[in-house]
Amino acid sequence: MVRPRMSDLRISTDNIDGWLQSIRVDGELDAYTAPELMEAVTQILDQGAAWLVIDLRQVDYIDSVGLGILIGGAKRAGEKNGDMAVACGKPNVVRVFEVSGTAQLLNVVDDLTRAVEILSAKHAARGGCEADGAGGDQ
Amino acid sequence: MPAAAPDVIELHLPPDPKYIAVVRLTVAGVASRSGISVDDVDDLKVAVCEAFTNTIDHAFRGRDPKSVTIRMATGSADLRIEVVDEGIGFDPSIIDFEKQADLSGKGGLGLYLVHQYMDDVKVESQPGSGTRIIMTKRLAR
Repeated sequence: MVRPRMSDLRISTDNIDGWLQSIRVDGELDAYTAPELMEAVTQILDQGAAWLVIDLRQVDYIDSVGLGILIGGAKRAGEKNGDMAVACGKPNVVRVFEVSGTAQLLNVVDDLTRAVEILSAKHAARGGCEADGAGGDQ
Repeated sequence: MPAAAPDVIELHLPPDPKYIAVVRLTVAGVASRSGISVDDVDDLKVAVCEAFTNTIDHAFRGRDPKSVTIRMATGSADLRIEVVDEGIGFDPSIIDFEKQADLSGKGGLGLYLVHQYMDDVKVESQPGSGTRIIMTKRLAR
C-alpha cells in the first residue's frame, strides 16, 4: 500500500510473511516529516501487527524525533510480544543510531534480509505463530 | 598580518518544522565551503537541526512566536554556529550534557545528540530573555 504524500517523505507498508509487516521509508526523517512515520507505525500496530521491519535503506537523514517514533513503536511491539528491527545502510544514519545508543535497542542492521532473519529467529524462539497476538492491544 | 575575519552567514526563520530542511541544506552548503570533512558536515546537519527543533518545541510556549536566527561563522580553525531565539528562556543549569541519552521515546535525545556531535556546546539563557545555543566544530585539517 502506498500512503498519500504530504511531504518529500515516502512511506509504504507490506506484509512480508503473515506475522511480519514492513514499513519502507524513503526520504528524510525530521520533526516535519516524522509524523507520517508515526501514523504508519501506529496504524500497522493498531491493525494487530506485533513484528515490524522498518526499512530505512533509502533514508538520508534521521533526527531525534524519528528515533523517538521508532523507540515508541518498538516498545509497543514488545508489549504485544513482538519486536522491531531496522535496516539502514547510510553511514550518517547508522551513526545517529550508534551515537544515541539506540542501535541495539532497535536491532539496527545494514541489510533487510538480516533484519528479517533477526526477527524470524526471535519469532521462532517465542513460539512462532502460536504466540502472535499474545499481549496485543487490538 | 592579522587573522582574517570569519565569514558570517545568517538565516532568519519562523520557528516552524517545515524549515528544518532549509536549515539542513544551508548548514551543509556553508560547512562544505569551510573545508570541513564530509562526515563532519553530516554531524553539523544533525546538531544544528536538533538545536533548531528544540527551539521550535520549547522557546515560545505561551508566547507569540518570533523569528529564530541561525548564525554561522566560518573561521580558519573552527565553525561556530549559534541558534538564537527571543523566546521564554529557561535556567540553563538544568541541562546536564553528561547524562546518558534518554531512550524512553518521550524526547530528550535532541540536546544529547547536539553535545555528542559538536566539539563544544554552550547554552546561554535566562527565564524571560531568550536562548542562545552556541555550537563549535573544529576544522580537521
